[in-house]
Amino acid sequence: MVPPVSATGTDPTPTLADVLRPGTPKLVVDDVTKVFAGRKQTTTALEHVDLHVDQGELVCLLGASGCGKSTLLSIVAGLETATEGMVTVDGDRVVGPGADRGMVFQAYSLFPWKSVARNIAFGLETAGWPKARRQERVDELLGIMGLTTFADALPKELSGGMRQRVAIARALAPEPDMLLLDEPFGALDAETKRHMQDFLLSLWHRTGTTILMVTHDIEEAIYLSQRIYVLAARPGRVAAEIAIPFGGARGPNTKRDPRFLDLRDELADLLAT
Amino acid sequence: MTTVDQAGSWPAGARAAAGDAVTDVATDVVGDAAPAVPGEGATPGTRGRRPSRLLGIRTEVPASWRIGFGVIGVLAILALWFWSSQGDSALIATPSESWSAFTQMVGDGTFQTDLWASAQRVLIGYGISMVIGIVLGIATGTFAAVDAFFEPMIGFLRYIPAPALIPLFLLLLGIDESPKIWLIVVGTAFYNVLMTADVARAVPREMINASYTLGAGRWRILRRVILPHSVPGIIDVARINLAAAWSMLVVAELLAAQSGLGYQLIRSQRFRAIDAMFAILIAFGVIGLLSDVLLRQVRNRVAPWSRP
Ligand SMILES: Nc1ncnc2c1ncn2[C@@H]1O[C@H](COP(=O)(O)OP(=O)(O)OP(=O)(O)O)[C@@H](O)[C@H]1O
Ligand SMILES: [Mg+2]
Repeated sequence: MVPPVSATGTDPTPTLADVLRPGTPKLVVDDVTKVFAGRKQTTTALEHVDLHVDQGELVCLLGASGCGKSTLLSIVAGLETATEGMVTVDGDRVVGPGADRGMVFQAYSLFPWKSVARNIAFGLETAGWPKARRQERVDELLGIMGLTTFADALPKELSGGMRQRVAIARALAPEPDMLLLDEPFGALDAETKRHMQDFLLSLWHRTGTTILMVTHDIEEAIYLSQRIYVLAARPGRVAAEIAIPFGGARGPNTKRDPRFLDLRDELADLLAT
Repeated sequence: MTTVDQAGSWPAGARAAAGDAVTDVATDVVGDAAPAVPGEGATPGTRGRRPSRLLGIRTEVPASWRIGFGVIGVLAILALWFWSSQGDSALIATPSESWSAFTQMVGDGTFQTDLWASAQRVLIGYGISMVIGIVLGIATGTFAAVDAFFEPMIGFLRYIPAPALIPLFLLLLGIDESPKIWLIVVGTAFYNVLMTADVARAVPREMINASYTLGAGRWRILRRVILPHSVPGIIDVARINLAAAWSMLVVAELLAAQSGLGYQLIRSQRFRAIDAMFAILIAFGVIGLLSDVLLRQVRNRVAPWSRP
């Protein structure tokens, strides 16, 4: 059974992501509330958050600092437990972390004692891939990421952008169903960031992985995602859900599209309130 | 952000406030207005405090200075020793007397025998202590339940001075090797545990979380993430607490031993062999210095990634 191709299929060659996109929700966040009980005060980081991400979709969570984006992503990853509500993936309730939901963290989380190749191989070793296949997969990812010549380098010998590529490669290596990205390009300069965004898009087209990405960069969110959830702060909640009308095709012209500019203003207003 | 702000607004404000003073001086030189425009006659001054070359807070000094200071420090203590040994008192041996006592001990082989007897005790005792430190320390730093179990216990036990246990140990364990070894264990293990726990706690949360999302279980994270990340820290802990191990050893050997450097010390005291005493004291320092350098080397060799 092949689901109908999306109506916004401006992309002449439907990719796997396009084909898989409509219909089936991959991830459902159902009425999630998260309260942190501190010594002096309790913080409601998230209140009654409802959202979903479809199979093969790329969705961004957009919101100001402190509105609970990382908290939400951690709950989806299973690293934090929701105070109320639940998260399901393919209908299964998330009770803890697992290799099906790869995650790239806000700050660098590479293993500093492992080479680039060994970092990427970590998830494959855990999953018990045989050595030959492991090597093949690592080489493949090194090629995709443009890191082949740095296979034996230590993380401290890499630039910020390269480290983030290693982190993404490491998360992708065991072929997770879903990729959770927490401001993966937040610490990069504008040029590297743009490069990494296009890189992420091509990766998404190629693999069809479902992606939920956190950002506080409005343009990045519009440029990358199929849909955007805007989160409002104190308590963190979904303020708006915005569909992005560009289909899978993005390029330098996207950012000059009048609809892009309108969306940017609309989102800026939403974030300002 | 504040620096940008200051760079933008400070000079203007400062100029306005200090305006009169500046013009007074400047008019003498240029004889006309626009005194504060740089490069226009008024000799450019300096801004900011010049950093101290010698005692800058957390600033490196040139390598040659470092070596120089080190040499001066060593010479100073040698000079102090030499000077104090010149008096009438026969209780302080001169450097040359100590050296000849040392060569004599090495010549008849007693030094080597005693060194080996002591080193053996330290190696065994401190080895046991490090194993305890690593196992319990990593567990304490990783699992809150283990931490809760050990914290009050160790907090209590480590305040019992280890040498206070010697009489008990002698009764329980006799007077051969084991009381000395166990004194070293007891005297250092608690610190090894507490400090190794801190090393394990220093593993970044995000690194552990990343491992979870890569499918690793607790055991795997313990072995493949927390342990390797802690290796350089553990070696540093070993290096720092080694001095305490030697202290415990000497305490034990002073009280009950037929061999070892501590025993040799007490023997020298009995025979008033002040020069031999000094030779042994200095030998302790040299042994410590060498093992410190050695362990630093090991750390850099084993965990080159942790080098700054
Ligand atoms: N472990 C915690 N204990 C207590 N409060 C927490 C904890 N983690 C997060 N919070 C609080 O929850 C709120 C949301 O934090 P979160 O890190 O999810 O924000 P964020 O949207 O990711 O921000 P940023 O964009 O700066 O990364 C904040 O007010 C924060 O203080
Ligand atoms: Mg965050």
